Amino acid sequence: MKLHHIYAVAALIFLGVLTAAMAQNQLNSSQMANSLAGVSNTQLSLTGAQMRQAALDNIRDYPGSIPPHPLSFPQMANLAQFVVEVEFDFNSSVIKPSSYRTVGAIADALHNPILLSYGFLVIGHTDSVGGRAYNIGLSQRRADAIRNALIDPFGVNPGVMEAVGLGEEQLRDPQHPTSGVNRRVQLVNVGKKYCFGRSGEQFQCQ
Amino acid sequence: MKRISFRLALFLALPFLIGGIGAATAQTMSYADAISQLAVACGADLQRYCKGIELGGRLKACLDGNLGRMSPQCQQTRATVYDSISRRAAAQRNIGDICSADIARLCDTSHADAHLVECLLSVSPVAMSPQCNQTFTDTGWRTERARQ
Repeated sequence: MKLHHIYAVAALIFLGVLTAAMAQNQLNSSQMANSLAGVSNTQLSLTGAQMRQAALDNIRDYPGSIPPHPLSFPQMANLAQFVVEVEFDFNSSVIKPSSYRTVGAIADALHNPILLSYGFLVIGHTDSVGGRAYNIGLSQRRADAIRNALIDPFGVNPGVMEAVGLGEEQLRDPQHPTSGVNRRVQLVNVGKKYCFGRSGEQFQCQ
Repeated sequence: MKRISFRLALFLALPFLIGGIGAATAQTMSYADAISQLAVACGADLQRYCKGIELGGRLKACLDGNLGRMSPQCQQTRATVYDSISRRAAAQRNIGDICSADIARLCDTSHADAHLVECLLSVSPVAMSPQCNQTFTDTGWRTERARQ
């Protein structure tokens, strides 16, 4: 119990650091771990498959070359999470060596003891270059590539992560839809002691 | 004469001494530090010989397969980096088994996994069995905590 209080205080302290660090896209693994640790007791009742379907529905319901209506998941607003930028080769899911460090830092964070036995979503987002449906597929392949690297070589338990691609349906900067800030990876802590099955179903770990 | 031979013996033994100490106590690197060393030392070679190959896929196999063509710096770094990463990953995976006797002896085992790590962090290294202590060092959790 006391430990949780200490972590809560630590998370608050790091929040300030976080805001400054995020502007430079230089989150280190401790900052990542702390931003994932301020967890609420609520369990996300939303599967990766449902999120993918919601992204496709958003294209159908709000057509246009740039999403006129952003996709939102209010259930996720209160969950501990952070966002980093990972660079890929153009139109590819190959992570550039310049971003290896960022992926390694995510691995360090997910291995941090304060995050043992939590489940995580690895969510990929693109900018608005390219078709919307195509971008959902591209961001899914990129989220998968990050999840794969976290598993091997970095040894994160595959059961605790699900990868989801949301394309350009949640632009970070809708005023500048082609800006690089839109190309990002979002890590979300979905709750304690939850693992994902092969088809994305959630269950109690161990 | 005596002093010289002693110095000579020490000089000759030094690599083994350092090697022995190194093997037993070398710290593993954080995953971020390890993989960015690889990106720096092997970046140009990777672009040339392993373009389009995923970090989470066949990258290590590609490095191994093209080792003769890689720069000496990349060859050397590749070995250290992958050794550190796999040693840290194995330690983090196996710490519960390797330290089970230490945990039973030193910790309140009614708590969950995260608290057992807290317990090991609070225990003096000399109170731990050497193998548990070395594995716990390899997890990197002592240095991670020191940085927080």
